[in-house]
Amino acid sequence: MLAYIIRRVAYLVPVLLVLSIVVFTFVEMLPGNIIDTLVGTEGNNDPEVRKILEKEYGLDQPVYVRYAKWLTRAVQGDFGNSLVTRRPVAVELMAGIPATVYLAVVGISLSMLIAVPLGTIAAVRRNTAIDYTAQVTSLIGISIPEFWFAILCVLFFSLYLGWLPSSGFANPFVDPWASLKFLILPAAAVGFRQAAYTTRLTRSSMLDEMNKEYVDTARSVGLSEGKVIFKYTLRNAMIPTITISGLQLANLLGGTVVLESIFAWPGIGRAIFEAILQRDYPLVQAGVLVLGVIVVVMNLLIDLTYRLLNPRVKFA
Amino acid sequence: MTEIQADKLAELAVRRPAIGGRMARWRMALGNAWHELRKSRTASIGAVMLVLLFGACIATPWITSYDPIKQNYRERLQPPSEKHLLGTDRMGRDIYTRLLYGGRRLVAIALLAVTFGLSLGIPYGVLSGYFGGKVDTVAMRFIDGLLAFPGLLFYLLVVTLAREWKIEGLANDAVLVFALGFAFMPEVARLSRGSVLAEKQKEYVEASRAVGDSSLAIALRQILPNIISPLIVNATVRLGYVILIIAALSFLGLGTPPPTPDWGSDLAAARDYMETAPLIAAFPGLAICYTVLAFNLFGDGLRDILDPRLAER
Repeated sequence: MLAYIIRRVAYLVPVLLVLSIVVFTFVEMLPGNIIDTLVGTEGNNDPEVRKILEKEYGLDQPVYVRYAKWLTRAVQGDFGNSLVTRRPVAVELMAGIPATVYLAVVGISLSMLIAVPLGTIAAVRRNTAIDYTAQVTSLIGISIPEFWFAILCVLFFSLYLGWLPSSGFANPFVDPWASLKFLILPAAAVGFRQAAYTTRLTRSSMLDEMNKEYVDTARSVGLSEGKVIFKYTLRNAMIPTITISGLQLANLLGGTVVLESIFAWPGIGRAIFEAILQRDYPLVQAGVLVLGVIVVVMNLLIDLTYRLLNPRVKFA
Repeated sequence: MTEIQADKLAELAVRRPAIGGRMARWRMALGNAWHELRKSRTASIGAVMLVLLFGACIATPWITSYDPIKQNYRERLQPPSEKHLLGTDRMGRDIYTRLLYGGRRLVAIALLAVTFGLSLGIPYGVLSGYFGGKVDTVAMRFIDGLLAFPGLLFYLLVVTLAREWKIEGLANDAVLVFALGFAFMPEVARLSRGSVLAEKQKEYVEASRAVGDSSLAIALRQILPNIISPLIVNATVRLGYVILIIAALSFLGLGTPPPTPDWGSDLAAARDYMETAPLIAAFPGLAICYTVLAFNLFGDGLRDILDPRLAER
């Protein structure tokens, strides 16, 4: 077990290296150099100033030296300053993390609340009207673009019925009621979409489990059908469902750019998107790197938990 | 029917002199394909939807006479009518026409991107899995690194670069094809590597090695044909996903710049008229939905047909 963990953590090193090289290359490949981006906004083209800045940013050194320096500082959490606000990039990014985590966690919980019962019923009542409805609905759910679904929700619940605000955010610790009202539409948009995937998965893993011999045994000793399903089958079938939901959560932390910008949700995805619009490239660079690291580490944790909970999986 | 019997029959079919020439043979092949498809209801519905979609893409210049770009302010924001089947947008352009031209571009980009991803990923995965050892380990760690980009982030970086370099028009589409294909590559590589590892142990590979075939010949000629069906399924489903990504990027205003007809950016532009003319926002969304659903249905059904073990569920 320990050897396995050590090896998996060691695998992270090349993965993170590839990630950091791609992110570093992105800024290197921008036209002109960073000095143009820096002084361009202020209309300052004094050659003296350029020289000083070039030295400060190490542009007189070869690319691998710059990469090494950048990486050393990044590992210590120093990503430089935002070109727009002039505040440290790390501070700007940290400010977005709580809102993103809030939305992702509520969205995934909602998704599981919908998907697990629906997928289970579809599997137990296989090839009935309920099953077909669940399958068709989830296929459509996968095919709907999330931004369109979000817009339709806004159109109906905000503009037509006027029940909910169309976008915005309130701190749940300061004003829980207002916060909830802002949360409902974005969380539904996240939740329904993820539920579409999870329902399909729950259904097929339930069917897998129900075909296993222990289910026949349980039935033959006279256990009630309800007990067979809820006490034994569902529990085993939940393992892949929970694993995938964890992966979805990890991906949502970095993947809600579109929804965050539709609902003006002050998360890290919107921060990166706005940084792109404002050409604030240090923030974009750091944001993508941080989200990538979060996703990679979360994936590792999920994998380890999965193996801990499921001793049948070998630590090969 | 076992695999060997099927192979023999196929061989006989090839050797038999053609009856009624090439056209008849094509008709027979199509008939066979349709017969297979009929086994899965989802696949046949998806196939019909796809035929309609591709038909509309190919026939676009013949089924509409409007210009998708030319503005006509006298006819702006009109409801659907005989003259304009789906009405007109904020610049008086025929929405039906814009959907057709936009779809044409979108489907072409998606097809090219997925093909590009396959052509990078298959050799990568097959060779990595076939050679194994250190080569395999290094190659797969690189793939893991590429898979670490969550959601849209990788595309955002590429699209931003394209914007900064002022890449426009066809070149911009080419950049999209490159980015989307490159992002599909890791998945293809993993899948084909996995299949190669499974196939490598089988007897037919041993046999060709004993006959003295080179490694490369075995990898490409013997193993590749046997791992193709999961890849086809994966690529079909990916086509739908790729279309969602292109639409999302242009919805954010980072994809294709106007006035090029594009479902995502047309949808974004329609947001301003949501209260007065909600239908304008409905049509591009429905078009995306239809297209992605068609690919998903087809892919799902194809999986059931090609992997009968799953269909029995």
